[in-house]
Amino acid sequence: MPTERQKEFAKLIEPHLSSLYSTALRMTHNQNDAEDLVQDTLFKAFRALDQYQKNTNFRAWIFRILVNTFITAYRKAIKQPQKISYDDMEEFFLYKRLDETVSLQETNKEEFLESLFEDDVKEALDNLPYQFRLVVLLCDVEGFSYNEIANIIDAPSGTVMSRLYRGRRLLQRYLWNYAKTRGYITDDFKKKS
Amino acid sequence: MYDCADIERLAQRYVDGKLNDEEKMLFEKHLEYCLPCDKKIEFELKLKEIIRIKAKEKFNPVDLEAKLMDFVRKLN
Ligand SMILES: [Zn+2]
Repeated sequence: MPTERQKEFAKLIEPHLSSLYSTALRMTHNQNDAEDLVQDTLFKAFRALDQYQKNTNFRAWIFRILVNTFITAYRKAIKQPQKISYDDMEEFFLYKRLDETVSLQETNKEEFLESLFEDDVKEALDNLPYQFRLVVLLCDVEGFSYNEIANIIDAPSGTVMSRLYRGRRLLQRYLWNYAKTRGYITDDFKKKS
Repeated sequence: MYDCADIERLAQRYVDGKLNDEEKMLFEKHLEYCLPCDKKIEFELKLKEIIRIKAKEKFNPVDLEAKLMDFVRKLN
């Protein structure tokens, strides 16, 4: 039989479990590692439950533990500098690029977004260097505010904003590249003169 | 009055709902009469929504519930 403390814990966790798994999956890239990451997070959270102040932001608290657990477990792997190609250094604005593309002049840019496959969006995210991936996930997918993210990743909000900006530029470039690979944008597109 | 450069500078904070009331009002006032900025911002908002919808994993709630129960048992 679960104890009162365990029941209380399960009740606190339940609304966030899906978000925790989803984020863990994007961060680790595979199901088994995501399971391990979430389990470790829950164990730590259960042990630290006394430090959680009732009626404060439980969602941010548990995500902070998830992020710490991830960074500890993957310290070696994430120390390897992820190579960013020369092209990726250039700021990329998907809207602007679509606007410059002749073949898309008449089509709706929003239809272009709708046509992206889930797998393309996930893969684009998975390819982001982890610091960028983390803030984009926390902001765009999980809906945390800048201040909450600053607290979760333990960085100033200025850092959150600049990583978000950088992350989005890269993500938009990757989406554009997939769209070309998938043939949503055909080879005969030309830059508007 | 905001010009197009202001819109570009504040776009990210607008999209993330971080402008204060006055900034937001001035921002939206510009969008009302500047079609290029309006379209650009609309696209950024839509992209944010698409990322949220398409990158969020959909789990079976029954599976999740079972996982949680498994986990709670391990706490003993
Ligand atoms: Zn404008």
